[in-house]
Amino acid sequence: MAGKFIALPKGVSEESFAAAVAEFRRVLGQDAVLVTAEQLAPYIKTMMPVPDADHTPSAALLATTVEQIQQIVGICNQYKVPIWTISTGRNFGYGSAAPAERGQVVLDLKRMNRILEVDPDLCFALVEPGVTYKQLYDYIQDHRYPLWLSCPAPSAIAGPTGNTLDRGVGYTPYGEHFLFACGMEVVLATGEVLRTGMGSLPNSNTWQVFKWGYGPYLDGIFTQSNYGIVTKFGFWLMPAPPAFKPFVIQYENEDDIVEIVETIRPLRISGVIPNAVVIAHALYEAPTKAKRSDYMTGPGAIADEAVRQIMKDHKLGAWNVYAALYGTQEQIDVNWKIVTTAFSRSGKAKILTEQEAGDDPAFQYRAALMRGDMTLKEFSLYNWRGGGGSMWFAPVSQARGSETLKQMAMTKRILGKYGLDYAGEFIVGMRDMHHIVDVLYDRTDPAVVKAAYQCFDELLTEFSAEGYGTYRVNTAFMDKVAHTYGPVQRQVHKTLKKALDPNGILAPGKSGIR
Amino acid sequence: MKTIGHNAVVACIVTAGVVIGSYAATAGAAPNEGSGSGFVWKDGAEVYSKVCAYCHEAKVGPTIRGRRLDPLYIRYMVRNGNRAMPAFRAAEIDEEALTKVAEYVSKSEIDRSGGATQ
Ligand SMILES: Cc1cc2nc3c(=O)[nH]c(=O)nc-3n(C[C@H](O)[C@H](O)[C@H](O)COP(=O)(O)OP(=O)(O)OC[C@H]3O[C@@H](n4cnc5c(N)ncnc54)[C@H](O)[C@@H]3O)c2cc1C
Ligand code: HEC
Repeated sequence: MAGKFIALPKGVSEESFAAAVAEFRRVLGQDAVLVTAEQLAPYIKTMMPVPDADHTPSAALLATTVEQIQQIVGICNQYKVPIWTISTGRNFGYGSAAPAERGQVVLDLKRMNRILEVDPDLCFALVEPGVTYKQLYDYIQDHRYPLWLSCPAPSAIAGPTGNTLDRGVGYTPYGEHFLFACGMEVVLATGEVLRTGMGSLPNSNTWQVFKWGYGPYLDGIFTQSNYGIVTKFGFWLMPAPPAFKPFVIQYENEDDIVEIVETIRPLRISGVIPNAVVIAHALYEAPTKAKRSDYMTGPGAIADEAVRQIMKDHKLGAWNVYAALYGTQEQIDVNWKIVTTAFSRSGKAKILTEQEAGDDPAFQYRAALMRGDMTLKEFSLYNWRGGGGSMWFAPVSQARGSETLKQMAMTKRILGKYGLDYAGEFIVGMRDMHHIVDVLYDRTDPAVVKAAYQCFDELLTEFSAEGYGTYRVNTAFMDKVAHTYGPVQRQVHKTLKKALDPNGILAPGKSGIR
Repeated sequence: MKTIGHNAVVACIVTAGVVIGSYAATAGAAPNEGSGSGFVWKDGAEVYSKVCAYCHEAKVGPTIRGRRLDPLYIRYMVRNGNRAMPAFRAAEIDEEALTKVAEYVSKSEIDRSGGATQ
């Protein structure tokens, strides 16, 4: 496209945008406002089955202070320029660092990355949005604090603020991250700065220890939303337990998911197993040790016989249940007895600990995740089909065996119709399960890209028809998912949007809200 | 900068009849701030061990050390990504750090251990 910019915000002329860019430069300096194709390239690479052009930003702003952000929203209001905020910008499979809509300006807070406070007594942290888990991990190590993080699988390069704001999950007892969030600072579209909860009170020292404050609880409306720009984020850290025992329980058949969930639910709800358990299908784990091309060539989904062979060759179950016990050795010994008794009942389960599985690459990275260590091993998934295409299909299920089996079968059938493999897992829940499926496809093959798009669309349609909602989705399908939750919720979201951001400058389209 | 918001930034912008007062109305709860400044990369080896190694020493990405890869090619890959390789923004690996890590990877020997630090 001709002109000064590689894309423009919807309804904004080039002259007007150039004026806004000049204003951004006045606030941030020349180098912190990126507009060339070369500078913006890293914001354009996504894994979604839609043209890059649909999500190409017009500019990226590298802000480092709250005052700068306040001025930026002032400029955006004046010129009606929309901004898409990212913190560490590693939202892979959900849209990466690209904006929801073509022409939005990315507000990239990666360089706003101070660790403001880590309290080893009360076990909390307060960080700026650009802090990565790795940075915080190193900080904790350097200070020898006995504290553990809970990270999503892309731990080393993602961060707590962005992950939690998108209501992401990890694998320790603190795995449902938003449950452990405590206090935010938010720049509103007016430029005002809100501190949520106890943070609103002058001289309060309880911002990071008491979540609710006074009056309606507000933190929730700033997650998966476009009502504000979070500039500080508080959350709780887990005290390092004296002992830790990771284990995996393998089952031979896909139908065994019923027994697994029925066995695990009471252990999970009662807290015998305290962490966000993962029930991973063989094809979710296989990429860490097997090559698909050794088992299957040509188009189409992988055959069940091939999966059986992979299981045999690479010591995998059809389902692999990863969980851990935490506490003193005595506590672990007691709980281990309860766990092994429960799982041994039917004689179907194979229970492995570090002793038997410690060298296994899948076990190793799962154990690392369950103690909040850094690993990127799960990116092996992208080598499975190759070509860099991935979307997370993430419906919520009851933690009930029959339900998980039904969701698995539906997903596998629809994926198969489009020639895609079922690489799925069930995670987190006490009463729920996040059913997480990596829809992997070759993004370099246009026919496959088209099939992947249709497949994902059909998954959403069929699941919502059964009453199953998805907890989070990539930016190409946000409107569709918002629609599945019905008109009343959508209208309430819109009403809040109008009240808080009348010019609609903050991330229009996020969660289908404009 | 220790705390924000005590000096009111007042910039009233009048747009289409809407008056938007932008002011730093933070509550006074100043956090007891830890590290004073943000994170800065020390050298190429640090970028490699804290980012690249988690994939390139873990069989997720191909071996890239000891291959005398052209630093320009490495730079291109890091900024643009390619298929399964994610792209990295200047906001996370700045130009200077990128130059250093490209040089580090290009010149490194394959047998030197540069695995992920824990
Ligand atoms: C192999 C693999 C495994 C994965 N495993 C997991 C997993 O276990 N758990 C999981 O949760 N995810 C997982 N993901 C998805 C994703 O990569 C992570 O959730 C990651 O943490 C998100 O990126 P981020 O932390 O950099 O957040 P960001 O990309 O910075 O932010 C995510 C979104 O939150 C909003 N946002 C961010 N910052 C702000 C702000 N300051 N103010 C307002 N809104 C904001 C924006 O909408 C943004 O798009 C996985 C991805 C891959 C490729
Ligand atoms: C999340 C995992 C991951 C991280 C982190 C990562 N890479 Fe990669 N990289 C890959 C993968 C996977 C490939 C192969 C991509 C493909 O062909 O599909 C790759 C390919 C490459 C290539 C091309 C290699 C060749 O044989 O041509 C280079 C160069 C490269 N990466 C450099 C880097 C550098 C430098 C870093 C650190 C700044 C880095 N990568 C971080 C996963 C990663």
